[in-house]
Amino acid sequence: MELVLDTVRKTFGGVVAVDDVSAVMPQDRVTALIGPNGAGKTTLFNAITGFDPPDRGSISFGDQRIDGLPPWRVAELGLIRTFQTPVGFTTLTVRESLLAAATPHFAETPLGALGLSRKARDHERASGDRAEEISAELGMADLLDVRTDELSAGDRKLLEFARSLMAEPKMLLLDEPAAAVAPANIGRLSQLVRRLCDERGLGSLIIDHNLSFLMQIADEVHVLDRGALLASGPPAEIAANPDVMRVYLGEDGAKDSEA
Amino acid sequence: MQNVVFGIVTGSILAVATLGFALVRQTENFLNIAHAQMMALGAFVGVVLVDTYGMNIFLAGAITVVGLGALGVVLSAVFFQPVRHQGGTVLLFTSIGLALMMYAAILALFGTQARFYPDVSGGLHRFAGIGIATNELVIIGLAFGSIAALQIFLNSTGLGRAIRAVASNDDLARVRGVPVRTVSNTIWFISSAFGAMAGVMLGVLGAVNTEIGWHNILIVLAAAVLGGLRSITGVILAGLLLGIMMDVSALFIPTAYRPVVAFGVLVAVLILRPEGILSVQRRKDAVVA
Amino acid sequence: MTNPIFWVGVLTLAAIYASLAMALNVESGWGGMWDLGIAGLLAAGSYCYVILTADPDLGMRFAPGLSMWVAWPLSALFTGLVAFAIGAPALRLRREYFLITTLAFAEIIRQLVVIQADLTRGTLGVPNINRPFDSFVTGRDYNYVLLGIAVAAAAVMYLVTRQIGISPFGRTLRAARDNEAVALALGKRVNRMRIKTFVLAGVLIGATAPVYLFYIRAVSPQLFAPGITFTVWTALVIGGLGSIRGGLAGAFVLIVFTEAVGLIEVDPSHINILVAIEPFMVGLLLVLVLRFRPDGLFSERSAFGAGNRPAGRSAGDSRPAGAAQGSGG
Ligand SMILES: Nc1ncnc2c1ncn2[C@@H]1O[C@H](COP(=O)(O)OP(=O)(O)OP(=O)(O)O)[C@@H](O)[C@H]1O
Ligand SMILES: [Mg+2]
Repeated sequence: MELVLDTVRKTFGGVVAVDDVSAVMPQDRVTALIGPNGAGKTTLFNAITGFDPPDRGSISFGDQRIDGLPPWRVAELGLIRTFQTPVGFTTLTVRESLLAAATPHFAETPLGALGLSRKARDHERASGDRAEEISAELGMADLLDVRTDELSAGDRKLLEFARSLMAEPKMLLLDEPAAAVAPANIGRLSQLVRRLCDERGLGSLIIDHNLSFLMQIADEVHVLDRGALLASGPPAEIAANPDVMRVYLGEDGAKDSEA
Repeated sequence: MQNVVFGIVTGSILAVATLGFALVRQTENFLNIAHAQMMALGAFVGVVLVDTYGMNIFLAGAITVVGLGALGVVLSAVFFQPVRHQGGTVLLFTSIGLALMMYAAILALFGTQARFYPDVSGGLHRFAGIGIATNELVIIGLAFGSIAALQIFLNSTGLGRAIRAVASNDDLARVRGVPVRTVSNTIWFISSAFGAMAGVMLGVLGAVNTEIGWHNILIVLAAAVLGGLRSITGVILAGLLLGIMMDVSALFIPTAYRPVVAFGVLVAVLILRPEGILSVQRRKDAVVA
Repeated sequence: MTNPIFWVGVLTLAAIYASLAMALNVESGWGGMWDLGIAGLLAAGSYCYVILTADPDLGMRFAPGLSMWVAWPLSALFTGLVAFAIGAPALRLRREYFLITTLAFAEIIRQLVVIQADLTRGTLGVPNINRPFDSFVTGRDYNYVLLGIAVAAAAVMYLVTRQIGISPFGRTLRAARDNEAVALALGKRVNRMRIKTFVLAGVLIGATAPVYLFYIRAVSPQLFAPGITFTVWTALVIGGLGSIRGGLAGAFVLIVFTEAVGLIEVDPSHINILVAIEPFMVGLLLVLVLRFRPDGLFSERSAFGAGNRPAGRSAGDSRPAGAAQGSGG
């Protein structure tokens, strides 16, 4: 199964934020999406996930057209995204955020709340265990009962990732998951991304400016520049591509420093 | 046709009231529910000055407008300034609290008896079969006179331009020259004075009772939303349109439905044509990234 | 002080407001829907009950004269329907505009009650509402029965809303309130969930309406002016928006306080002041609480046990909070 973009275009007034991008991203691989600030990476995420539908072009996941679907529907199909600015569920604790992400629809009705079914209870218990596992793997087990708005920016970024894992994803779309994250935790993050892909076939599409982090874990890299796809290929090839070097070094020297 | 004329009178008053309301909404960023109580207070203070103290209606009106304008500045300093940093929702609910307190003050000071301005209609004029009383002409004239004066003030004085800059969220303009407090006080003065003026006008045309505020807050909200809360012209048009619709509808359906027409229009506009209002707002809410 | 019957009445009223405030908390505190239409929903429930149970001799066009035990649940359901009719379109709007729309709908409902006089008796009102058990207990003693009913209703409301609050449903509701985009990105059908919640609040308010009528005894449209909406909101804000006990505590504080102030001896010639005391106290308390204790008496934080940042290390791997969430307490 794969995520397929076909001549996707998105403009804001006169600005062409995404310029006829076509690409194929396998659902069970790690794909990186890089490019300088303002290249249109986040806009592309918004187009894929239904938050800001494309002006034209088509997007499909597996055999399903997803452009034009509402965000919750895209998520139901298994495409779970994170956000570049990690705000999260401000007043919920880390544990509550993770559990909320995992709550199935059948437990989310007023009547379901009143006569909590056995099925819902079992699901809740299993989610609780999974929340602890995931948070432990990301080194945030001691933060489970801290409110989201009291977390550091880096911890909130990790929570974005952990939360998306709780939502039974088929493919992850991570918008700068490593930005502001402590170096030790970046290591855990990349190991986990890689392992999920290798062991469970859960692939990701990752935007980041931290190229050393990305180049280690990506199977394939797409480079976006001013809305258009500049180059695609395996990390080694991209690293050697003179066009890519020019875009990165020529226009934007400080792309790695976000923290 | 006669009802259109009534509607224009109603609409001019509504435009005055709504301009005051929209000014605060644009600059202080919250819906000031207490605004309509300022209208009620205006109607009562005016009637007391005229009826009890035998004052000339114009003098009484002027005193009411200036006095309540000043009161508005004081109330804003006491009630709204201290919670300003807490954002629009707290301000809105504070204004509900203030509205209740003003309503209570009106009840305590003036009692629940309806009161009337002495007859100041000043005779009826007829043009092509349509009647209009002198006082109605004066109201229309005063309403548009004050709106024009406000327009000129906003466009051609430094203070006015500062207010417009604050209204358009231009933070750069804030720091230039005019002190923030002066701008804020002026806004509150104008807003309250406009509310009080609309109150006196309403009182002159009908009965003055303690419920004026609650009856009018929704109509003002409706006009403000219909006018888009943004442009002065929009608010004037919305006020006139609502006024005319309410009075003309009386020809086809029982007059009891008059307020329902206003709220119905409000709901219809909000729900059927939310684009202008909604698009920006929803964007902001939806895409956090 | 004064006679006990007075205080029985005060507590009854407080329990009724507590029920309304707790219902409001579900939609506004957890659902983030700033509903200023409580009065309209209460009117819908009240008039449904009144019409279904009214004495046919009163000359209302439709008066099936149903038993109150049938009419009570029907009123709750009908109010839920009205809430759906309001919520489905209004929930497309954000905050401020939602708030205006609900306020407008409430006024429309009230005006309709006035206008449809052959069905509702308009401004005349309907006297002598049917009350449960009043053939067994009469006179002043009935006030104790009424207190019992109101307190039982508030207790049920507390249990129901508490269960919603601590359930996964309540959690998702709060999550979507905090961040709609993230909830959508996780596949939550935010809008549909909000409509359901709005309808649920309508049902709860509609179920409370008859209790309110038992207390008031005679219904008329001016009962449902926006004032009652603001009083319920004030109670909730005082108690703590979003906390489980907030509405309960806030209503008792607000009503008992207001009524106690009303007891101050006032010269009969200053009757106006007496009338003004209630709105004044409600307004003053609202302003003061917002200014000095915006979280209310009980905060949402205390309700959902969000701990503070761990000082040293975490308390091991026990997980009582998660388990409690699942089993519902
Ligand atoms: N909602 C919007 N309205 C108008 N312009 C927008 C909007 N969103 C993005 N843009 C513009 O589209 C272009 C692409 O922005 P985008 O956020 O996708 O960049 P990006 O690649 O994610 O950059 P960064 O690395 O800084 O996150 C920019 O020029 C931006 O200003
Ligand atoms: Mg971006």
